[in-house]
Parts: sequence; C-alpha cells; structure tokens
Amino acid sequence: MRTWYFSEMAYHPAWDKGLARGSLRVNFPSENLDPQEAGTLLNRYLDEFALCDDVGLDIMVNEHHSTATCMTVSVPMALAVIARETTKARLLSLGNPIANRPDPVRVAEEMAWLDCLSGGRIEMGLVKGAPYEIAPANSNPGRLMRRYWEAHDLIIKALSTTTGPFSWEGEFYQYRAVNIWPRPIQQPTPPIWMTGMSVETGIMAAEKGHVVGTLLSGGLAKPMYDAYRKRARERGWEAGPDRMAYAAIVGVGNTREEGLRRADIIADYVRTAPVVAEPFTNPPGYNSIGANVAMLKAGPRAHRMVTDRNGVPIDHRTATVGQFMDTDTVFAGTPDDVFNQLKAFNTRMGGVGHLLFFGQGGLLTHQDAKENIALFGKEVAPRLLELGAPEEAAAAE
Amino acid sequence: MSRHVTISGVSLEIEEKGQGRPLLFLHPGEGLQPNRPWLDALARNHHVIAPHHPGFGGSALPDWIGTVDDLAYLYLDLAAELKLENAVLAGNCFGGWIAAEMAVRNTARFAGLLLAAPLGIKVGGVLDRDITDMHAIPRSAFMRLAWADPAKGEIDYTKLPDTELAGIARGREALAVFGWKPYMHNPRLKHWLHRIDIPTHLIWGEQDGIVSTAYGEAWKAEIPSATMETIPDAGHYPHWEQPDLFAARVRAFTDRL
Repeated sequence: MRTWYFSEMAYHPAWDKGLARGSLRVNFPSENLDPQEAGTLLNRYLDEFALCDDVGLDIMVNEHHSTATCMTVSVPMALAVIARETTKARLLSLGNPIANRPDPVRVAEEMAWLDCLSGGRIEMGLVKGAPYEIAPANSNPGRLMRRYWEAHDLIIKALSTTTGPFSWEGEFYQYRAVNIWPRPIQQPTPPIWMTGMSVETGIMAAEKGHVVGTLLSGGLAKPMYDAYRKRARERGWEAGPDRMAYAAIVGVGNTREEGLRRADIIADYVRTAPVVAEPFTNPPGYNSIGANVAMLKAGPRAHRMVTDRNGVPIDHRTATVGQFMDTDTVFAGTPDDVFNQLKAFNTRMGGVGHLLFFGQGGLLTHQDAKENIALFGKEVAPRLLELGAPEEAAAAE
Repeated sequence: MSRHVTISGVSLEIEEKGQGRPLLFLHPGEGLQPNRPWLDALARNHHVIAPHHPGFGGSALPDWIGTVDDLAYLYLDLAAELKLENAVLAGNCFGGWIAAEMAVRNTARFAGLLLAAPLGIKVGGVLDRDITDMHAIPRSAFMRLAWADPAKGEIDYTKLPDTELAGIARGREALAVFGWKPYMHNPRLKHWLHRIDIPTHLIWGEQDGIVSTAYGEAWKAEIPSATMETIPDAGHYPHWEQPDLFAARVRAFTDRL
C-alpha cells in the first residue's frame, strides 16, 4: 500500500459562520473570507505538502469551488508549486472534474506540462466531481457522464498523439487542430485514476483498467472494489491492489491519545464539509434514475448516512472519532495501532494498494500537521509498502 | 388514456381527450400530470392532444435530441402527422417556450397561440434574473413561488409507484438537458417573435413567482397584436391551480379565432 498525503487547503476560519447559515458551499458569500489570511493558510498548507517529499510520502491534490472547505481552485496550479518543491514524490491530480471543464484539451496540456516539469511524476485523475460542483461551474448535470466520457477519450488522445494535429467533432467538444506541446514524459499517458462510490463506477473503471478511488466510505468501497475485480476477471485480467485506492483521515501520535486527538481535529473537516444547501446536493441528472427513485421514496427529510461495519447508520455531521473509526473513515492511534488498523482494512477490502492520507482538515496546527506527516512517513508508510493483496500479506508472516 | 406514436423516430406518449377544435398542449417543466382536473376541463370544449416531452413520462429521449429547437421541429412533425388544421397551439412554462419556438418557425396548422407563463426569452440585463433559478432554491421555496396555494401543488412522492417516480426523475434530467444553460431561455428567441403571424394570447397567474407579469408584458410587446390577461389565485401553473377558470379563458380565446 502506497501512501499519498492530501489536504483540501480549507478556509476553516469561516466554518462557524457557514454552519450557522446551513451552507459552506456555493451560496456562502466570500465576504466571510479574509484574503490575507487565505494567503497565509495556503502557504502553510503548501509547506505541509512539501514536507512529504522528505519523509517518503507521495502527494495528492484535489479541487473544489465556491467553498470554505477547500481553497484549491485548480489542481494544476497547486501541483505546479508542489512539483518545484519536491523531487521524489509522485504527484496525483485527483483530480480534474472534466465534465465541468469547457476545454478538455487545456486539461491535457496542463497535465503534460506538469509531467515534463516534474520529470514524469504525474498521475492523472479524471473525475466526475461532487454534485455541488455543478453550480459553480454552471455545467449541465443532464447527460453529465456522456460528456465525461467524451472529455476522457479526448484528453487521452490528446496526450498520446505524437503525430498531430488531429480533429475532433464530437457531441460536446469540437476542435480542428489538436496538437499539444509539450507532450508528457510518461507515454502514452500518465497513469489514470477515477473516483466514485458505486458498483457502476467500479465496473466502468475496470473496463478502462484505471485506478479507482473512493473517499471516506468503507461500506461503499468494498462493493465497488469487488465489482472492479469481477469485471476485470471477466475481461481476462486480474485486478491487483494497485488498482484500488481509499481516502481516509489518519491521526498518528507517539501515544494513542495524541493520535486520536489529531484525528478528531482533522475529522472536523468531515463533520463540516457535507453541510451544503439542499438544492445543490442532487442536481437533476447527476445521480442515476434508480438513486433518484430511492431518494423520492425516502421523502424530503431523509438524510444520507453511512453505515459502520455492523450496518449501524452514522451521521457524519455529528460522529465521534470512535464512530468514524467504525466506518473506516478514520484510522488513528500510535504507529502500531494505525498500521494494524490499515492491515485489517486491507484484508476486509480484499487488497487496497493506495491510501489517500487525509492529514490536515484545516484546524490542525502546523506543528501537529508536520508531526502527523513525519511520524506517518517514518513509522507507518514503510510498513504499508510491504502490504500486498491480503493473501500475500498473510503468506509473508 | 395515453397512446404512443413515433414521430421522426422518437416514441412519444400522448394523452388525448375531448371533442372539438384540436388543441395541442405542451406541458410545463414539472410534467404533464394528466390526472389533475385541467385535462378534463380543457377537453370539455377541445380535442386536447398533450404529448409527454421526450424524456418525460413514457416518451423516449434519444441521444441526438438535446435542444428546444429539436422539440419545436418534433412537434411540428407531430402536428403534420396528426393532420391538425386550424388547431390551437398552447403551452405553459417550459411548454410555452417550445410553443413559441414552433410558432416562429411555422404556424400553418394553427389558428391561434396560447402561452401561459412561458419561459424562453431574455429581457433584462446580464445581472437581471428574468426567470427564477428553480434549481438553486429548496423545493419548499420553489413551491411557494410556483403556486398561489402551495398546498394544492404538493405531491406525496413516497406514495407513487416506482415507474412513475422513474418518469419524474427522467423528466427532471430532461428539463436540465434542454434548459440548464442558458437557463430556461434562448437568447435569440426574442428577436424572432415578430414572425408569429397568428392571434396570440398570454395568460399569467397573478401570484406567479417564477416569471413575473412584467416578463409577460415583454412577451406581449414582441408579438404582433398579442393580448394578455391575468388569473387570480394562481401561480406559475394556472391550468393546474384554476382549471375551470383557465379552461374558460382558453375557450373565450379560441371562440374568437
């Protein structure tokens, strides 16, 4: 299991006001942000990313828009800074919300540029994006996935074509001369990742052979991984752990209390991030017809819960660290605790090759964040690298 | 009773009721809802033909259809297929937009155009919102703006069968496909409304919070010799909220034709 550190570069000073308004996203006015403070925080967060290179961790960056939960508005911009401040870490964009991007060729250009700049260290996530990203982008949620797949195919063709220009006359995108300069070091393209939470995503990712990642949802992850492995087998190949990724909060400390304390502070991100005004949670077309039928049947007051390992529903907005640990949202404690928790998780999931280490929610102090990264990099990550598929892990003992 | 017809390769579910002058009714973004009393009320004096738009109800939404232009041509083809003569073309909300797009193209089969709180044109400046952003407000706020009496509009979705819920979910996605961006309008349509060459009547609910009567006045100004009247105790869907009054107003208009 490789470890990719990430943080959303949150603007946590505005969270209380956002919570009081019932929305931290889309319609939470930016007068609640002090730009000087935003700059200070961005620099601090980028320092935390840079530290990962020294302790042997890889790095992941994502983006959101119009929100106090994430100030990264552009993955390529953040990775451009990080690429210059690191030399070894692989750099995962997870990713570009390509169905919300009007210009997929620009996405390909930026990824190729970053791949050259970083000496071939880029991994490229092509993601659907969260439902509340539709409004800031004013992207049409109808036929969203058809647009996603056309952008996906165009980006891959743009990155891998060396004898351009070529033309593209599609349903959503039209170009007459695609010929990107520079082209990526990694040919035909940097490794490609997708994200999701459903069996359908697992199947689609397996069709392409992409890495599939999921966020903070243990109960949903296993069926998605299983669907991926089954579809890969049907297509004549075995999907190993290197195709599966999982994002979770990790708090590690020299004592169990310290690790739990750090995880609890980081987890405030998860308690806060889902708070978004109702109309932006399910734009029409974003979710499948089946999912919408289920939501209509559940009625307007139903709130989506995740379930713990015993099937007990947990509300992320109010969960304790212990409850988060029961839903595989948080791994926390001493380095031994965290390793053992992740090893057991790896076994339960049937092998997960990538941990997306959510190590800064916003409220964690810079000192705590640095110690969390350093301790994880030194004491946990090297042992995780030895973890393969569960049967290999068992055989090695 | 509904039936299916295939027009230009698109399978459409059509509700049909009543005798008299044909009236092609194009439904709002909230769907056709044929079980509400409006259909019977209109059918007392007209032969009502009401298709479910592609993607709504039991009508198919083929991949190649994606704009209101497509819907306008599709329904002009439907009118030809049904051999409509001297018919009334009517539409409410999103359906009013489609009806106007048809009427600027070809009015040969129609004697009159009836638009009830149509969406579809841009009137104000870049910072003016002519049409309420129905997708940026909670459902409860939408109901308060769209109905004079929101209680009359409530639907208990938890009681509906899955097939009907699936139709509603598909319809909501279809409305986004057609009207998400630019939001529920065609920036060029206003400049073609002068082409409408049949008597046109605008009906507006006095409590319409989705598009105002001032927006209706802008429509009236662009369509040659158009008339307009308001209906009390009605919001954005006057045919649902005041079905008898609406039908009476429609009859008064069609009697003039």
